[in-house]
Amino acid sequence: MAVTYAQRHGLKPLGAGIGLRRSFYGELPRTERALDWVEIIPENFLTLGGRSQRALAACKERWPVLPHGVGLNIGGPDELDDAYVQGLTALVERVDAPFFSDHLCYSRLDGVYLHDLLPLPFSEAAVEHVVPRVREVMDRVGRPFLLENPSYYARMPGGTLQEADFLRHVVEQADCGLLLDVNNVYVNALNHGYDARAFIDALPLERVVQLHLAGHTRYPDVIVDTHGARVCDDVWSLYRYVLARTGPVATLIEWDQDIPSLDAVLDEADAARTALREAPGR
Amino acid sequence: MKPSLRAFFDSMGAYLARPGTTSLDALYARHPGWDAPRERVSLYGDFVLGHVRGALEKVFPLTRDAVGPEAWGALVRDFTSTRPARHHELNHLCEGFPAFLGDVTASRGLAPFAAPLARFEWTDFAVYAAEDASPTPVERLTANPTLAVLEHDFHLCAYVRARGAAAAPAPGAELALLWRHPVQLKTYFMAATPQALLVLKMAVEGLSLSDVVSATGMPHAELRATVTRHAREGLVFLPADGEG
Repeated sequence: MAVTYAQRHGLKPLGAGIGLRRSFYGELPRTERALDWVEIIPENFLTLGGRSQRALAACKERWPVLPHGVGLNIGGPDELDDAYVQGLTALVERVDAPFFSDHLCYSRLDGVYLHDLLPLPFSEAAVEHVVPRVREVMDRVGRPFLLENPSYYARMPGGTLQEADFLRHVVEQADCGLLLDVNNVYVNALNHGYDARAFIDALPLERVVQLHLAGHTRYPDVIVDTHGARVCDDVWSLYRYVLARTGPVATLIEWDQDIPSLDAVLDEADAARTALREAPGR
Repeated sequence: MKPSLRAFFDSMGAYLARPGTTSLDALYARHPGWDAPRERVSLYGDFVLGHVRGALEKVFPLTRDAVGPEAWGALVRDFTSTRPARHHELNHLCEGFPAFLGDVTASRGLAPFAAPLARFEWTDFAVYAAEDASPTPVERLTANPTLAVLEHDFHLCAYVRARGAAAAPAPGAELALLWRHPVQLKTYFMAATPQALLVLKMAVEGLSLSDVVSATGMPHAELRATVTRHAREGLVFLPADGEG
C-alpha cells in the first residue's frame, strides 16, 4: 500500500475506544479496565456545561479524546454554521485531538437542524459541492479530518455514481481521511443488495484512519443502524477483513441506544483490541 | 451548487418540513423515475419527527403525563410543525415549548398549570446543563451563577418533587429557585423562603453577617447557620474564611 493518509499526517493507530455517553459520565473516568481512547460527540460538549464537562476533563486526563460530530452538515446547502465551527475548533484544541471527524451527509436544511444523518445523491454535483466545504473545515479547524460513510436506506434521486466511487471522489479530491464504519457497510450491503467485501475493496483504504463497529436492528424489510446492540458475528468478520487490508486502525465501539453497562461496552472494545493485535502490520 | 442538487435539497426540505403521505407523494412527483421504495424514504421523515418527539419527552416527562397522551400527541405534532430545531444541540429545540404551550392552553382546554410546569421542566434542564462554571474560590458570599428564578401561580416545587404524583399542583403563588449544585452537578430547587431570599440578598448586595445582624436584630449564630445551610445546598458560595 502506498503512503497512507495516516502516515502523511503522523497519525498512529490508537487501539480500541468507546464513546463517552451520559450514562457513563460518572463511571468511565474511574474505570480500571483497558481502554485506549475515548470518542465524544462534540454537540454534547460545545454548549452544555456541568457533568458533561467534568467527565470530559477527567477522561482527557487519562486517554486521547477524538471528537466525532453529527452536526457539521458538510453536505448540506446551508453555509457552514460559524458558531459551530468556531466551537468545534476550540474543542478540538482543548482536547488536543489528533484528528476529528463527521459524516458524509447533510443534517440541516433552511436553517433547521434535522438531527439526522441524511444521505446525499451519489452524484458528481454532490462531490463538487462537498469537496470545497471539507477543505474549508480542515483549514478552519487546522487538524486532519475524516469523513464517515453513513448508513442509508434509500438511494437518493439524481445519483450517477456508485457509492464507493462517490466516497472515493470526495475524500481524494478533498484530501481528507476516511472513517470507515464497518457496520454501515454491512447494513447498506444488506439493505441494497451488494457484496460488502467487494465494496470495501473498491474504497481508498489507504485513507482509512478510524473504524467504527456497532450493532443494528433487523426489521422484516430493512436493517436499521441503531447502535443499540452488540456487534454481530458478520460485522466482526467484516472487520477482520478490513484489518487484513489496512493493518491496525483505531476502532470505536458505538453504542447509543439501549446502552448497557459500561462493562458490556468495554467487553466489545476488548474484542476489537484482540482483533487489532492479530491484524498484520501496515 | 448545481441546480440539480439545489432542486434535490428543496424537495427534501419540503418533505421533511411536514412528513406524511401527501408530502411524500409531492417528493416523488418532483423526481420522476425515482424508484426508491416509499417505505424506505419515509423512514427519514419518521426519524426527523422522532428526534423532536424524543427530545420533548425527555425534557418534559411531567408535562406529558399531565396533559394526557392524546393532547400530548397533538402538541408534539403542532410544535414540530413550527420547526423548532434551530440549534446544533438537540435539546435546545425544547426551549420554545413552554411558550408554545402557553399560547394554546385556552384553545385546547389544557390545565392552566401545564405551561408553567413545562417552563419549570425546561429550566430544570437548562440549569443542569448551564455553561456557567462555578466561580471557585470566591472572595465573598456569591450567588450560584446557575440560579434561575421562576414565578407562577401553582406550588410546582412540591408537585415536581413528588414526580407528579398528585392530580394537579396546589394553586397558590410560588417563587421557585433552581440552581445546579456545584459539586453534585444536579439541579436543586426549592420554593423561595424568606431565609433563602435573605441569603441571596446578602450575596447580591455584598452584605456581611454583621450588616444584616445590625439591620434586622437577627441572632448572629442563627444567621450564620442559615447562610451555611444554603451554601451547603449550593444556592450560594462561601469564601474560604466562611464569612458572608
